[in-house]
Amino acid sequence: MEWKQRHVLDLDTWKREELHYILEQTSSMDELLDRPIKKVPALRGKLVVNLFFEPSTRTRVSFELAEKFLSADVVNWSASGSSIGKGETLRDTAWTLEAMGADAVVIRHGAVGAADYLARKLKKSVVFNGGDGAHSHPTQALLDLYTAWKKIGSLERKKIVMIGDVLHSRVARSDIIGFSKMGSRVVLSGPPTLMPRSVDALGATYDPDPRSAVKGADIIYLLRIQRERQDEGMFPSLDEYHQIFGANESLLKLAGADTIVMHPGPVNRGVEIASNVADGSQSMILGQVRSGVALRMALLFVCLGGVRQ
Amino acid sequence: MKILFRNGLLFDGRTLSGGKTDVLAEDGVISRIGTGLDDNGANEIYDLSDLIISPGFIDLHCHLRDPGQEWREDLLSGSRAGAAGGFSTLVCMPNTDPPVDNAALIRYLLEKGEECDGSRVVPAGCLSRERAGNNLAEMGKMAIAGAVLFTDDGSPVSNTNLLRLALQYSSRLGVRIMEHPEDRSLTLGAQVNDGICSTISGLKGWPSSAEASDIFRGASLSMDTGVPIHFTHVSTKESMNAMRISKASGCTVTCDVTPHHLCLVENMVISGGYDGVFKVNPPLRSVQDVDALWEGIRDGTVDAIATDHAPYHMDEKDLPFQESAFGIASLECAVAAILHEWKRRKDLCTLEKLLSLFTSGPASLLPEKWRTLGVIAEGSPADLTVIDPDFERVVDVSKWESKARSTPWNGRTLKGWPVMTVVRGKVAYKMPDHLSRVK
Amino acid sequence: MLKDKARVMTAQDIERILKRMSHEILERNRGLENMIIVGIQRRGVYLANRLGDILAHFESTRVPSGVLDITLYRDDLTLLHDQPVVHSTSIPEDVNSRKILLVDDVLYTGRTVRAALDALMDLGRPESVQLAVLVDRGHRELPIHPDYIGKTIPTSKSEVIEVRLNELDGKDEVVICEREEG
Repeated sequence: MEWKQRHVLDLDTWKREELHYILEQTSSMDELLDRPIKKVPALRGKLVVNLFFEPSTRTRVSFELAEKFLSADVVNWSASGSSIGKGETLRDTAWTLEAMGADAVVIRHGAVGAADYLARKLKKSVVFNGGDGAHSHPTQALLDLYTAWKKIGSLERKKIVMIGDVLHSRVARSDIIGFSKMGSRVVLSGPPTLMPRSVDALGATYDPDPRSAVKGADIIYLLRIQRERQDEGMFPSLDEYHQIFGANESLLKLAGADTIVMHPGPVNRGVEIASNVADGSQSMILGQVRSGVALRMALLFVCLGGVRQ
Repeated sequence: MKILFRNGLLFDGRTLSGGKTDVLAEDGVISRIGTGLDDNGANEIYDLSDLIISPGFIDLHCHLRDPGQEWREDLLSGSRAGAAGGFSTLVCMPNTDPPVDNAALIRYLLEKGEECDGSRVVPAGCLSRERAGNNLAEMGKMAIAGAVLFTDDGSPVSNTNLLRLALQYSSRLGVRIMEHPEDRSLTLGAQVNDGICSTISGLKGWPSSAEASDIFRGASLSMDTGVPIHFTHVSTKESMNAMRISKASGCTVTCDVTPHHLCLVENMVISGGYDGVFKVNPPLRSVQDVDALWEGIRDGTVDAIATDHAPYHMDEKDLPFQESAFGIASLECAVAAILHEWKRRKDLCTLEKLLSLFTSGPASLLPEKWRTLGVIAEGSPADLTVIDPDFERVVDVSKWESKARSTPWNGRTLKGWPVMTVVRGKVAYKMPDHLSRVK
Repeated sequence: MLKDKARVMTAQDIERILKRMSHEILERNRGLENMIIVGIQRRGVYLANRLGDILAHFESTRVPSGVLDITLYRDDLTLLHDQPVVHSTSIPEDVNSRKILLVDDVLYTGRTVRAALDALMDLGRPESVQLAVLVDRGHRELPIHPDYIGKTIPTSKSEVIEVRLNELDGKDEVVICEREEG
């Protein structure tokens, strides 16, 4: 197959066969993680810059491990302690990175479209979107697809129930695109104040009652509730949220014994998910973390692995 | 100084006549209208065959950034850009630095405007002192000095009591209040239309109700005080309905709409890869909203088309979407964009109707002394715009008179252009190599 | 476009050669004790399986066989035309202190074998590594020499050796091809 995605910005331009290709490549990388020596020389001599404007230990560490396992040279450039703190524009940062010879830039930014912007400004480097505002988080969606695919096989005609703060969630937006492209049906649930206005434009449906939404679900996907949403008055209290929308054992029973539970982390125990569900046998949360490294290795290799000069 | 325009299709501000008409401008005033006028003594003669000759277009709402933000635009660059875009009169907004909240600044703008060789520039003054939304600005002194509108544009007048007082106080000044309709408590942090665009992008949505609720509030105050109020850059279907209901119930409310809200839709933010060029306040709206604005034009709910030309330096626009400034620069392609879109929506309204929204429509909202700008009649000012409805040209922002270097129309081919602008009886702009000067 | 120029091995030739190579392997190693056969993705894997079958037939004992993917170890990716595909690596037993018989279809520059050795060393420390190839076409760029050679075929650099195997290509043969202009 000819790989046509120069950057990884969002999944909206991806075809199903491209998703499949990446899932299969991830599978090969996954094997690598079991080896005594996990490092392979595939990206020796390539310079990858992790450009993080938001603190995100998980995503950065996952990318960094993937880069290091592939033997790339890794530089972490964070907003604090750099010229960004002194008011340098993203454009100047971009050009600086390219002048230093970055082959790839992983960007995490609070502003929607920051990765698209960077990709427009960079002539040579490949851009990986590590999350832009509430817009897109393609590597999270791909690792979620991989985790689910590995566990339950084909994702065609599967039901994914996503519960929580869809409005502010880049994970939700990317996962809805990803799962839909794989042939799954996505049902959203959560308080109406945390739902975007045109759910149908996302290709999903909305059921305000999680107890009816989860019936027949193959996957329950819980979204992180930021505490500041309560301060903004988007819902009355965390306690009320947990009681009505939190994933506990009784909700899981309504879904079924084969239903798997996913969460992008970090988990707010006792808010969107009860501890015994997060740690229970149906939980895939740690599997997602492992998949993240393999998936990012696959993406880095496919986009930087050499074909394109 | 005499200029004779021969064989034009005359639009007098209300109606478009079929036959060929000559117009003679003499010392800044239209002296004669007729056919086969004697060209004796004319300094310049132009043949306007197949072109429309109209009263000069009036832009009720543009930002010329003078004083204080001249890196974005200044009175001269703005005035020349206006003329190149077919406007003979520009009303410049007072949200400058410092804000235009006193008579001295009104006089500064009028005097500096006199020296500009493009469009006529007339200033709007702030409604509140320092545009801070707390106390009335010296509207009386500014009205005497020559302010043509009062507005805190850029911001709404959120304090309802202040808006009511402003309406009452201005009732004897003959200068209209213009409200930027926006309920700020609903738009805090908002970036794009609340709908498909906010849903897909994850950017905070700007609900239609934030605009419509302010229109209803203003209309209610207008009804209460009996003083007219004008709403600028009205952008949604719901707002159009609010205008319709208010007008029907006898409120003296008027509104204008912008070229970008008439021609562009929210989806462009997404398809454009979150380019800041599409970021504007109020945001680009849905297809249904755009259709509703055109319906408002057709049925007379819309009183004027105003550009809300909002120039910024590239360093303020060429940023990730969320960090880019709100504002679309359009003076030099706004008329073309509208004519192009009008043609695409054929038979939606008459050309007369459309042209009146650039001429008699906005003129009727200005103080009494400026109303004659909206008509071509013997004795009225020789401010004229000549339109070639079939001319096609590519928008090239790099060649603009304006200091702005980004516009959503850049690179687009538009059909229907203003080709000549006459201000105070002098040719302020003529499209290069287009219409023939006979003498 | 590749154009077939000459067929240098038939199905029967391949079968005979693999049998002969099996004898050489048994002779050199005095049996199969402690051995793992590892095929290099993709055609080396099928040849490794066939050698395994023949050896099992001769000795009535099966040698464990594994699969090695060397895509991530290559140093010549920029020269390849297709998108690299990482296949799976699976070696069923620990390679530490084992005799590894590495199998590939064609030995050319030696770079694939170099990558395979690196990949193998990342999995552990074998006692020894031997190399079996069906075709040695010369033009080595690295000091690598096979222990078992099916056939040495002198070629020019403009030629391409295509090994076709039933499992992948529907027939067994080895063909010399030449690049056609246009």
